[in-house]
Amino acid sequence: MRAPVPMPARPTIVTVGLLALAIALPPFSSNYVIDVALTIVTYSILGLGLNIVVGYAGLLDLGYAAFFAIGAYTTALLETLLGFSFWETLPFSVAFAGVSGVVIGYPTLRLRSDYLAIVTLGFGEITRIVATNLDITGGPNGIYGIASASLFGYEISSPRAVYELGMAFLIVVLLFAVRLGRSRLGRAWTSIREDEAAAEAVGVPTLRVKLLAYVMGALIGGIAGSLFAARFGTIDPTGFTYLQSVTILIIVVLGGRGSIPGVILGAIIVAGVPELLRFLNLWRIFGFAVALVILMLLRPQGLWPVRAKRAMPHVGVSGVPASPAPPVMAGAGETLLEVRDLACRFGGVLAVGGISFVVRSGEILALIGPNGAGKTTVFNCLTGVVRASDRRLFWCGAPLGGGAPHRNVHRGIARTFQGIRLFGHMSAFENVLTGMDHRLHTSLVSELLGTPSAHAEAAEHEAQGMRWLDMVGLAARASEYAADLPYGDQRRLEIARALASNPRLLLLDEPAAGMNPTEKYALTELIRRIRALGVTVLLIEHDMTLVMGVSDRIIVMDHGVIIAEGPPAQIQSDTRVIDAYLGTAEEDDAAGDVASGERSLWNS
Amino acid sequence: MNAQNNGMPDAFRVLRQTVAAATFGLATLAALAPEVAHSQTIKIGVPVPLSGSSANAGTDIVNGAKLAAAKINAAGGVLGKQVELVPEDDACDAQTAVQAAQKLVDAGVVAVAGGYCSSAALPELTTFHRSGIPYVLDASTNPKLTEMGYDNVFRTIGRDDQQGPFAASFIKNSLHAKRAAVIDDNTTYSKGLAQNTVDALKKGGVEVVYADSITPGQMDYSPTLTKVASLKPDVIYYTGYFSEAGLLVKEARQLGLKMTLMGGDATNDPTLMKTAGPAADGMIITTSPLAQFLSGAHSYVDDYTKAYGQGPGPYSVYEYDAVAVTAKAIADAKSADPKAIVAALHKIKDYAGLTGTIGFDPKGDRSRAVYITIIVRNDQFAAYQRQDAGGHWVAMK
Amino acid sequence: MSTFFQYVVEGLTIGSFYALVALGYTMVYGIIRLINFAHGDLFMVGAFIGWTSLAAFASAHLSLALALAAAFAVSMVATGGLGVAIARVAYQPLLRAPRLSILITALGISLALENAVLLIYGAGFRTYPHLLTHAGLNLLDVQITFAQIGIVAVSFTLMLGLYFFVHHTFLGTAMRALAIDQDAARLMGIDVERMIQLTFFIGSVLAAVAGVMEGLFYTQINFFMGFVLGLRAFTAAVLGGIGNIPGAMAGGLLIGLLEAFGAGYVSSQWTDVFVFGVLIAVLVVKPTGLFGERVVERM
Repeated sequence: MRAPVPMPARPTIVTVGLLALAIALPPFSSNYVIDVALTIVTYSILGLGLNIVVGYAGLLDLGYAAFFAIGAYTTALLETLLGFSFWETLPFSVAFAGVSGVVIGYPTLRLRSDYLAIVTLGFGEITRIVATNLDITGGPNGIYGIASASLFGYEISSPRAVYELGMAFLIVVLLFAVRLGRSRLGRAWTSIREDEAAAEAVGVPTLRVKLLAYVMGALIGGIAGSLFAARFGTIDPTGFTYLQSVTILIIVVLGGRGSIPGVILGAIIVAGVPELLRFLNLWRIFGFAVALVILMLLRPQGLWPVRAKRAMPHVGVSGVPASPAPPVMAGAGETLLEVRDLACRFGGVLAVGGISFVVRSGEILALIGPNGAGKTTVFNCLTGVVRASDRRLFWCGAPLGGGAPHRNVHRGIARTFQGIRLFGHMSAFENVLTGMDHRLHTSLVSELLGTPSAHAEAAEHEAQGMRWLDMVGLAARASEYAADLPYGDQRRLEIARALASNPRLLLLDEPAAGMNPTEKYALTELIRRIRALGVTVLLIEHDMTLVMGVSDRIIVMDHGVIIAEGPPAQIQSDTRVIDAYLGTAEEDDAAGDVASGERSLWNS
Repeated sequence: MNAQNNGMPDAFRVLRQTVAAATFGLATLAALAPEVAHSQTIKIGVPVPLSGSSANAGTDIVNGAKLAAAKINAAGGVLGKQVELVPEDDACDAQTAVQAAQKLVDAGVVAVAGGYCSSAALPELTTFHRSGIPYVLDASTNPKLTEMGYDNVFRTIGRDDQQGPFAASFIKNSLHAKRAAVIDDNTTYSKGLAQNTVDALKKGGVEVVYADSITPGQMDYSPTLTKVASLKPDVIYYTGYFSEAGLLVKEARQLGLKMTLMGGDATNDPTLMKTAGPAADGMIITTSPLAQFLSGAHSYVDDYTKAYGQGPGPYSVYEYDAVAVTAKAIADAKSADPKAIVAALHKIKDYAGLTGTIGFDPKGDRSRAVYITIIVRNDQFAAYQRQDAGGHWVAMK
Repeated sequence: MSTFFQYVVEGLTIGSFYALVALGYTMVYGIIRLINFAHGDLFMVGAFIGWTSLAAFASAHLSLALALAAAFAVSMVATGGLGVAIARVAYQPLLRAPRLSILITALGISLALENAVLLIYGAGFRTYPHLLTHAGLNLLDVQITFAQIGIVAVSFTLMLGLYFFVHHTFLGTAMRALAIDQDAARLMGIDVERMIQLTFFIGSVLAAVAGVMEGLFYTQINFFMGFVLGLRAFTAAVLGGIGNIPGAMAGGLLIGLLEAFGAGYVSSQWTDVFVFGVLIAVLVVKPTGLFGERVVERM
């Protein structure tokens, strides 16, 4: 796969040129063209807002017009009832739209995507119906007599003036959307889209991040609403129907979900083409519908899909020390993690039936046992994927458990997965960054504004990411898609991503699966180097050579309980373990087989 | 870094993109550019919904305009020139409406006769006001339109706040009802009429037991009707459109409701009887006079049916008059300048239109809007009662 | 009290239509994870084809029962065929494409169907001939017409038939296998493309039956009639747990009842808010709908 092209940090000449052309439009065209252009600008703003929700975060929102309505009605009501000026209403309309984003988002973001669709649709309809039914919002008549905006005494009421105002708003929203896409939030959204559970498990606070997507989209919708109210001077509920939400969605998908130029192009087409087709009269909408279907069939990824932008590290690897900053050291030998009587039930199956063990700081502890013994379930309990009562787990003396998985990552427990769960469409570098993003100190606002301190921390952040990649030997492949890496490299990338969060305890779930002997040897070395950094390792593995070679202690599980515990030599000769798992060397011809020690057929 | 672009260096790619974008942009602008205004014809714009769920009403209005224009042109046109109609689709949507209006302005219309949805008419009006072009409304009954303080707006149709008291008076003084239920469909026109009726009923001492909205587009209103029935009104007045009215009437009779059923002027369409069948018998509708009840309009119905294969809808005859009165104003003004036309329209006091005598008050409303009641008998509309000069209800012939 | 039961009767009648259409949404979703926005419009097309057939058969002077049966048959086959054609032409090529793209295609098809009917039949309302009797029963002050009983009975029978088909026939089992794991089903020798088309066919046929019944019962049809009903039927499918067939039936009836109680006890103009409010409340408590299954993720 060819190396992806990096997105330029500054807008290209083309972009600036086109924007300048758009701003300079009014003197060269009739009022009609200006009106159409203003509609396009309004839809562009709306599209950019929905793009954050649908394109970046992958949440299917069918009720986006609600935020549009809230912004419009806020401006309208504040102006007509309280006499605010347009500019005074703006912060309120944005604020109310944002708050409604929280109100709508909070209860519903746990839903699966298609359920989310109907709920957002429902909220959109509820907003419209409330606006239609209440007297204060003017009922079905809506509100009229909204004064236009004025700037230093100049009234912005002619189509040309309102158009320039719209362009100003569009440029602000554009900058915001672009910066957002490149920030840590943008990475978080991409990771959620790729694999939400994995994102949560590497420290991305998924619920909060999804909520933020909603709120950002809502803010932009609110701005578009205020612009709409100022443009027409009158608003009514029929401008905020479900069909309006659908139109905005069409714009985003037609242009290319997640793509900013795509959204603009989508707005031009959806607002412009029906105008061009006016000569078709009654066939207008039919023609548009057929064109839409054909376009989707021909280019399902959208007309201007996201280019393969992959963040490139700005620092090279050379000249940088190879060892990453050490995590906070616990006293060696101290109890890091204590598990007491942990039990876990799935329906009628008791996967883990009351086990207790401790993990000491600085050790490499292996958890082995036949398939179905409950090992991964233990990992899932430790990382919060499966709910465990908080009286069972203790981390550095304090209770652990409950709360979302990402909290455990922030506390210092990181993991990899049995089946590799990388963010395939992000580069290796970005995968690692996603694992470390929660450690950034600068606020999101500073990052978006690009303050010097934000830049400085970002540079250090990226340098650190490269160091982690270098530690696992992937520095040369930093800019490649994770999905394109060879299998062994993917495993190592997962480890780098987990390490990037500076954990005290690293849980490795079958890291050697599918590796050849050379790779396994390298892995053994890597695990030792990880321990040398001060990270405690708890690993699940089936390769006995690896396990026996690298572990300080081994715990053996079978059918959900611990059947043995101790140093490698002791485990190897433990009869219970041999019966359950390892098999006897003389009777089993395939003793050298490193797959799980199932009993030989000859023995049954 | 950009080696994969078919070997083309960066600069060329940028250049190519710019040229492509500019070409696209210019082509779009050219396609959207206004037509050169012909001064050989008198252009009258007709903005109506021609797509979406109101397309039927819009087409009906355009048909009425066409009949008027044809008649005028057959008689030699206006100021020696032919009248050219310019219909534009406003899709009953504010954004599309503004664009439609602007397109008409750019096309050089000197006057506009049309409009259907108030939510579209209002933005259109604002656009026309900016260019001083007169807008004669044929179907928008929302009072708001003539309360904006604009001088360029006129109506050949009445207003909701005239029909409401009329309906209330009928309910009280002709039906002698003590309890009334008023249902609307939560749209601008319907709600306005309902509110005006409820206010007038309350003032007249009739108890309004139910005043609520249904959702248009549903099929089954039985639950609402059951609820209304439990409140025992003597009459139910529905202020929405004929489509829902037909369903309401049918379902009401199916549920065994016996009280008088009434409708506002948007319910007067033959589809009502086709939907409700025999259940519609006895339904009373308040309306501006329909073409077939207008002394001067019998031939209109025939002409319309001959030209379009079906009878006229409720508003086309008002559009006919709107176009005709506009042409008259142009002739009076002896000029095709929009401002002169506006002034001439304001001077019209006694124009004999198909819908009766037309004159405009200072706000632009029709000074003598007449309403009548009609009744459904044997799947036909028949004239029922009207108010005489003394306000008494007398049967119509 | 009789008012309460009146609402129940009305709610079940309304809900039967929603249930029939909701089945189509849920079946298609179960198979290819597509919210088929065009489905409500197939209901509308079914009604129009039925109208055209009735008009044709009426002029052929057939007996009433025969004309009705023929109208149903023609509409079912034609609408079913249309559903399959749309699936083949517009959806199946996009099954491997991003999910949002196929969603937009469905929206485009919906618009296209509505406007095609608008162009062919005009924007005016068409009315079915008044064929159904208005006779009914009056049980304890509750009005129930025979037509209403007929509608509920037909819907129930069809739903039961579908349930039996899905759970007790080979084709039905194949469809269920497909819904669980398409690739595995293919490897087991199931003709996936055929099964998908069959799913669309069945869903469209059910929608057509609902459409013709709607025309007979409510008389009035127009090109936009699929919109509100489609939205409510989709809501019903989600409420029941999208992808779950008994859930769609239950959801449809439940939405019908909610609508009736909402109009009766809350207020007509707030009915939709009430219905959506209940839906949201249910989903917050049971995120996969009333009957939906939680998909357990293996980490």
